[in-house]
Amino acid sequence: MSHTPSTSTQATILEKVIDFVDERVGLKLLAAKMLNEPVPGGSRWAYVFGSVLLFIFIMQSVTGVLLMFYYVPTADHAYASTQYILHEVDYGWFLLSYHFWGSTAMVVCVFAHMSQVFLWGAYKKPRELIWLVGLALFGIVMGFGFTGYLLPWDQRAYWATTVGVEIMDKTPLFGDFMARFLKGGATPGQMTLSRFFVIHVMVLPAALMGLAGLHLFLFRSAGPAGPFRGTPEELKAKTDYFFPRQIWKDIVGMAAVFACICALAFWEPVVLLEEATPDPGDYHPEPEWYFLFLFQLLRLKIFSGEFGQFLGAIALPGAFMALLAALPFIDRDPERNIFKRPIALIGWVVVMAAILIFTVSAIINREYLD
Amino acid sequence: MSNERESMSPAQLGLGILWPAFWTGLPIKLAFVLLFLALGMVHFETRIGLAFLMLLASPVTVFALPTITLGLESHIGEGVGIALLFLLAIPIDIWALGIVGRTFFLERLRREPQEGLGLTLWWKCALVGAIFLPILWVAVSATTDATISAVRSLFETDLLNGTPVAEKISIELTLWGTVAIAVLLLLLVIGLWLVGRVIRGTVESARPTSESYQGLITRWDLMRVPADQGLMLTSLTGGAVVLSLLFWSSLPVFTPHPHDCCKKPEVKATPAFKPLETLNKDEKMIAQLAAQVELLEKQQAEAELAKDKNKGKGKASKDAVKAPAATEPAPPNAKKP
Repeated sequence: MSHTPSTSTQATILEKVIDFVDERVGLKLLAAKMLNEPVPGGSRWAYVFGSVLLFIFIMQSVTGVLLMFYYVPTADHAYASTQYILHEVDYGWFLLSYHFWGSTAMVVCVFAHMSQVFLWGAYKKPRELIWLVGLALFGIVMGFGFTGYLLPWDQRAYWATTVGVEIMDKTPLFGDFMARFLKGGATPGQMTLSRFFVIHVMVLPAALMGLAGLHLFLFRSAGPAGPFRGTPEELKAKTDYFFPRQIWKDIVGMAAVFACICALAFWEPVVLLEEATPDPGDYHPEPEWYFLFLFQLLRLKIFSGEFGQFLGAIALPGAFMALLAALPFIDRDPERNIFKRPIALIGWVVVMAAILIFTVSAIINREYLD
Repeated sequence: MSNERESMSPAQLGLGILWPAFWTGLPIKLAFVLLFLALGMVHFETRIGLAFLMLLASPVTVFALPTITLGLESHIGEGVGIALLFLLAIPIDIWALGIVGRTFFLERLRREPQEGLGLTLWWKCALVGAIFLPILWVAVSATTDATISAVRSLFETDLLNGTPVAEKISIELTLWGTVAIAVLLLLLVIGLWLVGRVIRGTVESARPTSESYQGLITRWDLMRVPADQGLMLTSLTGGAVVLSLLFWSSLPVFTPHPHDCCKKPEVKATPAFKPLETLNKDEKMIAQLAAQVELLEKQQAEAELAKDKNKGKGKASKDAVKAPAATEPAPPNAKKP
């Protein structure tokens, strides 16, 4: 019997490299485990938010690293270096504007992802831990927004941080320590900028990567929840694997979000205000848009005074976050259909409407101040 | 299941077709929006959210937008790109409605989709949109304006005049926002019902399928995947590469919205410094200047000599009168330099 190997059966260099790595780390098994995850009820557009968030984070890291090539994190040079990025560096305006709108997209997608999980009832047993880690990730995303806002060192950045740190100061027990730790002095200055910069570029990315990994691991362990409607026959017939249907939808979702961020960068590129000074002058301090609802809430008469401010700034949001954390342990009913969970549906509508009303109110309030 | 299909209301039918069709076409439309923005062909006004909604809902806004823009003097932006975008949206929407319609007919309605379903659904949706959307626009705008003025006049009464600003803003917004959103939602449901009514004829003309559920799902699943996946991937990658190249080549290097604080100073280009040429040039110039100095000194000396000579001649003529001694030395300035 003669063996005459044909050219078609000979392994290419790429195949040899893949075999080499596979022999050592079990690459093919890993890929099979990652891609052949069954998706109950089939792929859906509603499931793209997690992957889109990961994509936005990667893009924020890439643009952030490119911005760091030029940015100088000192009180003397932060403003000038940001202006340099905007006006002198080739495509610098686009990078900074993309990074700015990317952070907004991240907050929007986190809200969308959390809403989808809540409405689908996907936080219920056995997915409680995924929900809890998700809440921590939500806090980290908000932290990214808060710390990154100071870095351009203009009036908006300076006063938004001042307002934010003052709100934090009202937290009992550790609020004073946190405020002093973040500010590093009586007023925001070099120490504040250094600390915010380190938290923004080192602490939070590391925390996010760790928690996102844990989130994915827990998700893979528990498996996708699937749709909340449909007969077992329907679900069984439509179930397919993560690859290629869901991956294709994820890619389209990422491309759409990328296009939206780019379009926003064109439509409203970043423009700095005057350089930061301890005198606000004509500028009316206010935080970034996703904290505006809380800021407007604190303007209400009911939340005036020391206790009122504590109630509005710390107690209410704290209680709301605690309620979200306790949700999988309070809501033990296995029913996942949102139309059969009226309290959950009404609660979600009320929270979303309140956030929308107070955010728009804060925008209208600017006219009264001007 | 059969009951659910038969009891599907026209509004549910309209929503079931339009909602996925909007999202199916959107990523492709967005790619063109981005390209036109980079090329400077589109300038959206502050109401970018509205522009986004108009584009998203382009099967129903494609003919309604010109009516709203021209008839009601309200526009979402400027530039030839907007008209081009809505023109490009037509084939994209026909394709999206075709895909969505075929899968919806088969999976949800258990009917065999007809040939050219995308085009049929598109013109029906566009027709309903062209008539109904301007009405919706006028009704919602009028309701919003009327409610805002009513709520404002309510807060001008003595009873509510002293309400703090923050509370006043939030209550006003809640009141007129609730009314405006209620009217908008009601009209949207009516619009969807109209679309459903118009589509129903197409549904009823489609022949019911007698295939098993598993068989239907297999067909439905295959409908969502192109027959030649390799060709689709290659053409998509090619399209993405072309669009990316166009985008990066048209992307402005510096901000298209320069800030007043940072206007670029006009810098004139300085010639490049060439050390050898500069040295040679300087050497030549020094030599030239040295020659000029030497010439000037020579001229000065000659002039002084001539002066002395003239002086000497005058003295001699005087001395000749006096008859000077031959042994008397010449004056020092009479010497040659």
